[in-house]
Amino acid sequence: MAVVEVQDLSKRYGSVQALRSVDVAVERGCTGLVGSNGAGKSTLLKLLLGLIVPDRGRATVLGHDVASDPLGVRSGVGYLPEGPCLPGDVSAADFVAFMGQLGGLPPRAARERASEVCYQVGLDEERYRALGGLSTGMLQRVKLAVALVHDPRLLLLDEPTDGMDPQGREDMLDLIDRARTELGVDVLVSTHLLGDVERICDRVVMVHAGRVLVQGPIAAVAGTADGGFAVQLGDNGDAEIDCLALAGLQVRHAGDELHVQGGAGTADRIRDVAADRGWALRRLSPRAPSLEETFLRLQAEVSGST
Amino acid sequence: MSRSGPGHMEGPPVSEGGAPAGAIYDRGYRHYQGVREGRSRMIKALVQAGVRRTLGLRRSWKAKVAPWGLLLIALAPVVAFVGIRVAAGDAVDQLIGYAQYLRIVSLVLLLFAATAAPELLCPDRQSNVLALYFTRPLSRPDYLLSKAAALLLVMALIAVVPMAVLLAGNALTADSAMSYLGDHLGDLPRILLAGGVLTVYYSVISLAIASLTERRSIAVAVQLGVFLASGTVAGIVFFAARFAGRRWVSLLALQQLPDRFVDWVFGEPVQPGSMAAEAGFTGPVYLVAMGVVGALAFGLLAWRISRLRA
Repeated sequence: MAVVEVQDLSKRYGSVQALRSVDVAVERGCTGLVGSNGAGKSTLLKLLLGLIVPDRGRATVLGHDVASDPLGVRSGVGYLPEGPCLPGDVSAADFVAFMGQLGGLPPRAARERASEVCYQVGLDEERYRALGGLSTGMLQRVKLAVALVHDPRLLLLDEPTDGMDPQGREDMLDLIDRARTELGVDVLVSTHLLGDVERICDRVVMVHAGRVLVQGPIAAVAGTADGGFAVQLGDNGDAEIDCLALAGLQVRHAGDELHVQGGAGTADRIRDVAADRGWALRRLSPRAPSLEETFLRLQAEVSGST
Repeated sequence: MSRSGPGHMEGPPVSEGGAPAGAIYDRGYRHYQGVREGRSRMIKALVQAGVRRTLGLRRSWKAKVAPWGLLLIALAPVVAFVGIRVAAGDAVDQLIGYAQYLRIVSLVLLLFAATAAPELLCPDRQSNVLALYFTRPLSRPDYLLSKAAALLLVMALIAVVPMAVLLAGNALTADSAMSYLGDHLGDLPRILLAGGVLTVYYSVISLAIASLTERRSIAVAVQLGVFLASGTVAGIVFFAARFAGRRWVSLLALQQLPDRFVDWVFGEPVQPGSMAAEAGFTGPVYLVAMGVVGALAFGLLAWRISRLRA
């Protein structure tokens, strides 16, 4: 059974159509909600929490109808919002315990849970410092602790790695992954970083300009783009790219190699170009399509059709 | 799951004798198996947090200056009066009446509400913490109820405790405490009625004004300005203008309404030549006027809370 089901959901802010007849089914596990800034990801999360009212459509979360039972939805959900949302003059330990009580836990249990969860998200001595003095990475950890303290069944995370350095980002993704694997909590994580999704999610929902582009298991979604080959040809320079393009191949730079899109027969054509020009073909290996390629292709298709 | 990484213990520490002195076990993420108390717990938690915040508890000494200073101002005179009565005995008659003392308390309540209400509402919006509060099973009416209850509790303490101390002091320093209480039995409900009305009146207006802005200093300034300006403008219009219904203008002096109501409750005469004396209204009219102002303020407050963005 899907933990989140959305049917024909639309939302408009003034002249901006934030969501257009969106249908989404979020299965158990970890699902990435991917899209550029302004694609409608945060709006969708807020609609799922009942914080804003849709213009049309309906949504159910954990079996609760969002419109008729928003409090039922929220009792089973932990939410990590995007941007600053923590008071500066309270300690992490006090605030997480307080949020535990707002989740219905008795004071003593809330304090114990807060201590436990703070430890699990990597807040040690920092938990006793005022939140105003913590770094961005630590604040994101506090927000995750707040989302977890009342033991929710579903986590809705809005840009959880926003503003974090590479190590902090890795740590945060680990923590989310652990919450899922150790607690069995289902996760819907909104992000514009496709690498984060590939790292921790099983499924993906891609949105663009308020529309769902595609949704499903990551391998299946990535497979909607053509595969191709990683190539190191001659100097990997403009001359090589031009010749491959003249041979009718789609090619682009990717780090220190070229990515050539195409299926059967592509390898032969690359080999022929190398042989004709006398360039050294140092690498020619098949590569699976990435989520990013799929997303960019679908985004371009939608943008081109509108 | 074991926890590795900097700052975490890999095994139990060992005492000098070689025996394990204790161990930290990382039990990993665990589900909560205990009871869930629901809506009542949320409201209690918000009220407790509100009372702490109002009194500056668990915060820096700067946050304690205003609330505890005002509490001291409310309590110090009554302690002094009772002390003088104890020291001087029967030589000194009752130094101050309940109505006069409630006027002091009324001013303290105004100042306390003006500083405490913004402290309760403004930081939540300024820090955007509502984005977390309203994603818990907490409704906006519950949020409003909790914040109002926190302020009312502390304000009621300020309104009633000094008066109760004065009543007790008068009783204990009288020739016979029992006969004093017998003679003044009616004072206790009057104290509770007047203190309760003042508490609600100031609290609701302060919360309504605080709900209009996320800047605490602006909320404090606006509230004090509204009370000061309403009294001044009403006084000028009342005495300068000569039109048929000018007596109703006296009801626009927001700070005068509770004082006149208190005078009526305790049977105090109105000062001759004052706006109240010339207007000629009785206590119930002032009570109704306070009710109307309070209802308008509550409507504004409820509307603002219902429109808060999470």
